[in-house]
Amino acid sequence: MKYLALLTGPEDIGQSRLFWAVFVLLVVNFLAGPLWMSEFEASNVSYYLLNLPMALGLCLLWGYCGVLSFGQVAYFGIAGYLYGIIAGNMRGDPWGPLLGEVGGLAACAVVSAIFGYFMFYARVQRWIVPILTLVLALLLETFLGQTAGYQWRVGSVQLGGYNGMTGIPWFQLGDLTFFGYSFYYYVVLVVLVSYLGCRALVNSHHGKVMLAMREDPLRTELLGYDIRARQLAVFVIAGVLAGLSGLLYVQWGNYITPSQLGLVQAALPVIWVAVGGRSKLLAVAISAYALNWITYSLSSAGNQYALVIIGGLLVAVMLFFPDGIVVTLARNMNRQALARLFRRG
Amino acid sequence: MTTHSIVRTSALEKRFGGIVATQDVDLDIPEGELRCIIGPNGAGKSTLFALLCGIHAPDSGNIFLKDRDITALPSFRRVRLGLGLTFQTNRAFHELTVRQNLEAPFRLPQGGRSSTSEKRYQYALSTFGLDMTSDVPARELPHHRLQWLEIAMVLAGGPDVLLLDEPTAGLSPEETLQTARVLRHLNDDGLTIIVVEHDIAFVREVAERVTVLHQGAIFAEGTVADITAHDDVRRIYLGQA
Repeated sequence: MKYLALLTGPEDIGQSRLFWAVFVLLVVNFLAGPLWMSEFEASNVSYYLLNLPMALGLCLLWGYCGVLSFGQVAYFGIAGYLYGIIAGNMRGDPWGPLLGEVGGLAACAVVSAIFGYFMFYARVQRWIVPILTLVLALLLETFLGQTAGYQWRVGSVQLGGYNGMTGIPWFQLGDLTFFGYSFYYYVVLVVLVSYLGCRALVNSHHGKVMLAMREDPLRTELLGYDIRARQLAVFVIAGVLAGLSGLLYVQWGNYITPSQLGLVQAALPVIWVAVGGRSKLLAVAISAYALNWITYSLSSAGNQYALVIIGGLLVAVMLFFPDGIVVTLARNMNRQALARLFRRG
Repeated sequence: MTTHSIVRTSALEKRFGGIVATQDVDLDIPEGELRCIIGPNGAGKSTLFALLCGIHAPDSGNIFLKDRDITALPSFRRVRLGLGLTFQTNRAFHELTVRQNLEAPFRLPQGGRSSTSEKRYQYALSTFGLDMTSDVPARELPHHRLQWLEIAMVLAGGPDVLLLDEPTAGLSPEETLQTARVLRHLNDDGLTIIVVEHDIAFVREVAERVTVLHQGAIFAEGTVADITAHDDVRRIYLGQA
């Protein structure tokens, strides 16, 4: 019951039985996807889903903790490149990809812990944090962009400069290789666990402290908390979640380029989180899925203005729904109709 | 009542540039006392609280809590050792609900407040009329309830020493009286309370002893009767000749 309460607690949208019934139906719908989706369509849905861990991590950091990071793509890139290097060098070894995955996530945890330590223990606050985090992403992009020569290789894997790293192996566990439908199930599972894990975190006591830190760090410290350590912990979790998205991305597309760590890509997670509503995980999950679907659909239809449309959406939301579209809808929903779905029932 | 000292400062000094905020402050608060600190604006009262809580580090001098030198400890460690502070300007979490405010304070890993602290906390909740399950945003509370919410929030952490910086600012006479009653009850229950206050009627209502700060230093100390009869105090603080 204690663990169930962590999932059904009040710090995210949706507590009623009706909500959870719809949630389970949605999960079943995703699991049954291969019955009515082609492998190509399943691959597209995997793409819409794979950025959700990064968005959820930023939601924890920004929406619940009040710390805006503009450079989550740095961890996306670190995990992606490191997976490519490790798995690429262990090609033929059935456990190489798993080692690459562990290595990529560990690197994200270490880099975010070191970077976050200097930032939070130096009491860096407010607008300096997004600038510092963006600088890390742009530094990595610049560095990786100049790795075009043959001399820039690690073992047998070429970093590839702006052409990127290609031929990155699929994810594999022993003899089981994940591509097509199996990769789709793997992504659905990772996203589901990420969401429920984040939901449990925000409903735990630590989640309540995160909210307090967002509102007033000094007041929170004077309630007995080492806010530097708490902010650092959330920063590392968000970094690892961004790394998870990076892993899924390279396992989906088998390539990565430095532009994945660039300014445009750095802005996208901020837009996904802001448009849905940064204060609620479910709002961010819905928004990240929908915006990735819109961007992908527009881009694949040959529309050159996909990013302009997404940027315009951000401006419109900031003007008319400063708390985010989904959060505003959930708050103002007609009680007679869908309120029971989203509120305590 | 024991006369053992629970909060003590020794030659405490703090300067901001060329301005002396506190100088040579030797404060000694016995366990279980309700002490009021008064003084004109700029006397260093809030700075003294900020030094006690670790918001500012002193330039010289030492701070002791339960005979332990806490001068170099960060704020959160002082709170875990038993200090609790409410600010001069209300700093309850206005965008959070009443429930979230009351759930925020630090809980010991072994399960929270002692039975004494729990009793004090529950008393404050019931007397202040605060519902710990309320999902009303704190910003929608009237001012006096916000003030009381911050006091209850700090009591939720189970402090041994409660520091209140002008807890009756903006309260009506009835609300001030209610606050005084609660503080007196908590003090009778053994909680040490130090209050910075301008409202002399309130000070008369609650204080056992009063410390007067002037230009950053302790100017006088004594019972309420001593202090209000003190000619120099009347001159510098009460504005009477």
